[in-house]
Amino acid sequence: MSDASYLSLEKLTLAYGDSVAVANLDLNIRKGELIALLGPSGCGKTTTMRAIAGLLAVKSGHVRLDGADITRVPANKRAVGLMFQSYALFPHLSVYENVAFGLKLKGMRGPELETKVQSGLKSVGLSTFANRKPAELSGGQQQRVALARSMVMEPKVLLLDEPLSNLDARLRLEMRTELQRVQKETGVTMIFVTHDQAEALALADRIVVMKSGKIEQIGSPEDIYNRPTSSFVADFVGFENIFPLENGKMKTSAGLIDLSGKPPSAAGLAWRPRMVSLGTGPFQGTVRGTSFAGDSREYLLDTSLGPIKAEVEASQPAHALGADLFFDLPPEKAAPLLRFV
Amino acid sequence: MTLRSLFIPITLLLVIAFLIGPFLIIVAASFSAGETLAFPPQGFSLRWIAKVFTVESFRASFGMSLFLAIGGTAAALILGIPASYALSRYKLPGAEIVRTVVSAPIIVPGIIVGLALLRYIVVPFQVGITLALFLAHTALVLPYAVRVVSASLDNLRSDIEEAAVLLGSSRLGAFFRVVMPNIRGGIMSAFILGFVTSFNQVPVSLFLSGPGVRTLPVDMIAYMEIVFDPSVAALSSLLAFLSIGIVFVAERFLGFSRYV
Amino acid sequence: MFQNRTEALALALPAAIFAAAVFLVPVVILLSDGFRVPTGGWTISAYTDFFSNSLNQAVFLRTLRLGALVTIASAVIGYAAAFAIVSLEPGAKGKVTGLVVLPLMISPVARTYAWIVILGRTGIVNQAFQALGITEAPLRILFSETAIFIGLLQLFLPLMIISLISALENMPKDAIPAARVLGANWFQVFWKVVLPLTKEGLVIGGTLVFTGSLTAYITPAILGGSKVLMLETLLYQQVAVSNNFVAASVIAFILIVMSFAANILLKRVATARNKQRSQA
Repeated sequence: MSDASYLSLEKLTLAYGDSVAVANLDLNIRKGELIALLGPSGCGKTTTMRAIAGLLAVKSGHVRLDGADITRVPANKRAVGLMFQSYALFPHLSVYENVAFGLKLKGMRGPELETKVQSGLKSVGLSTFANRKPAELSGGQQQRVALARSMVMEPKVLLLDEPLSNLDARLRLEMRTELQRVQKETGVTMIFVTHDQAEALALADRIVVMKSGKIEQIGSPEDIYNRPTSSFVADFVGFENIFPLENGKMKTSAGLIDLSGKPPSAAGLAWRPRMVSLGTGPFQGTVRGTSFAGDSREYLLDTSLGPIKAEVEASQPAHALGADLFFDLPPEKAAPLLRFV
Repeated sequence: MTLRSLFIPITLLLVIAFLIGPFLIIVAASFSAGETLAFPPQGFSLRWIAKVFTVESFRASFGMSLFLAIGGTAAALILGIPASYALSRYKLPGAEIVRTVVSAPIIVPGIIVGLALLRYIVVPFQVGITLALFLAHTALVLPYAVRVVSASLDNLRSDIEEAAVLLGSSRLGAFFRVVMPNIRGGIMSAFILGFVTSFNQVPVSLFLSGPGVRTLPVDMIAYMEIVFDPSVAALSSLLAFLSIGIVFVAERFLGFSRYV
Repeated sequence: MFQNRTEALALALPAAIFAAAVFLVPVVILLSDGFRVPTGGWTISAYTDFFSNSLNQAVFLRTLRLGALVTIASAVIGYAAAFAIVSLEPGAKGKVTGLVVLPLMISPVARTYAWIVILGRTGIVNQAFQALGITEAPLRILFSETAIFIGLLQLFLPLMIISLISALENMPKDAIPAARVLGANWFQVFWKVVLPLTKEGLVIGGTLVFTGSLTAYITPAILGGSKVLMLETLLYQQVAVSNNFVAASVIAFILIVMSFAANILLKRVATARNKQRSQA
């Protein structure tokens, strides 16, 4: 095992009955990494997570963890933790009993158990809630119990299913910080599943973007945000103006169009609304919609290229509905796409 | 407007009088001092209540009914809980067939079940009447057990079982550690519903009677055909208060009506 | 959802096998008796024999008639009662619903027995009639269709009321005021708004009451006596008195066909609603 493959998925194929959810997936994860599996619902991210946990039987391929092949190891013997989206706390047990559950199954008793559970509760700031039942806690507190319950088991990998999706904006920031702190303190390898690109960008060391059971792109948050390699990833992270290229020319509803500057060698180009320069340029469009977003203003333009979304600073003078504007799609600002799907 | 405001109390009064009145009359008749069943009761006495406890056949058949209600319901739960679990949590091949088969005894009239058992189990296999009654009451309660337990399983998130497994529990261990404690109310409710259903059941047991082996309600019908004294009224009142008491306690502590 | 088939079958099969062995197989054999020729082969002559007997015809028609009358009466009374109950304050509503459900927990033997005290020759009704001078001699109410009708209605009315209460509670709150504002009178409100919106509850309640009445044994046995028979009591007589198992099988088959028909209707109404929901 090299350091780069503490957890590795090799040619992993997963299926529910006859319908294949994940096909031939390869992925290597370093020890102590914080990985996000990002994608829309049905992309196979949750399925992959369940297979790593051992909750779903692998159809073919292998899962290796810390040098051992765990493909056929049952879920209760894997040393993999999972924080469920619903938290899945045991409703009949107190907070203390919830956290002690796994330790007791390991045979831990007496003062050792007491110390371990208390320190687990302390680490998530819930020491004073030990005797409460889950139903008496807020959503955020329940999630911290779920985190403590998984972490006291000292898992080799902690899986998190949409860890921030059930929280309001303020708690979300709090939980994000909490997860990063726990990860730094314990060095546990974390993999979390999310459909929210902002969540993935904010939290992960590396992001794995998935689509239809395959990996679309792996990269750092900066890579994914600034250099999407496919039209799917570009669209997913907010590039709203995406065009395929043919022989260095942009293919639009108005036919092949020459771009200013030298023709790039890519399958397509993508611009965020902010990258569109408004006011001057070779193209012309009519304002069909406009919306004010505080610092900026967004325009939806009807153009011969098709609909174009542009965003400018709010300090610029506003354009009225129906106004005709010149604009440019500067190729040097565009993200070049290797694959157009 | 007055007509409408009178409509509600009058309707309720008439309907409740129709539904509850006969029961109150039975209760009143059981305290009669007279020799025959009549209302208004002639005088007040506890002699008929006392007599119930001295009738030998009532004591025997009460014991039989109690045994069937407790034993049959317990057996139905032992069969029904795993089946409900499989129906609720597993991708079960032929799930619809299993569901239909275990809940069919509720659709078929009891008298037919009793007759079928007599003709094709008791006679050919030389099964004793007590065992036959036990099998019949178990089959009768099974649909209720599966329905109520399934309902409480469906109300329980299944990811807590996965959480237990990931914390080191076996699948079976997860069932006993985290599923059972959370469906206890449903199981108790199924038990009470099964108990009351079995105890009050007549048609299934009609043909399954032998010398000295009879359920209490069948015995009561037989008794009232011969003797027209208030002891059946007294027994009916006692049984009614018993079931009402059980259901009241169950509702109070389990929220029984959620499951039924 | 767990995927392991062996585990699933191991959990489900004991109950399924038990129900099949103790219940399904014997019942199916019993039902086939009415179609079997003792010397081999199949026939429906037992059925033509059964229906050519005028007593049997009368019992069959009486069973259908009583089932229908009890269902209609319980629907009419049920709507009035359910309306009255849902219009109560929440606290009172719970208590009154409790009183309506209460009889379901009491042994049907006890509930039916009470009608002997009320409808008998020296019962309350006859005493009242004579005291008021309506009749000279005591009326014979017991052991008649009227007595069975009253007994069955009292037995099954709670089921109808409960079905209608939940149907009325699931009805959109503004439907009745909206119809009133649009100018509908109370009859039109019921016929055009309430009935269509609570049809499902009515069908569920109706099915329960109808199948319950068809297959009730205790009520016709106690209140009908040995003369005024329904199919269930006729079946009992055929076995216990005449030892005629073929006739018993024929009656059993008729009863099952009738209950299944009612239950299939119930299922179809339920799925029709699900379809509507999924389209919405």
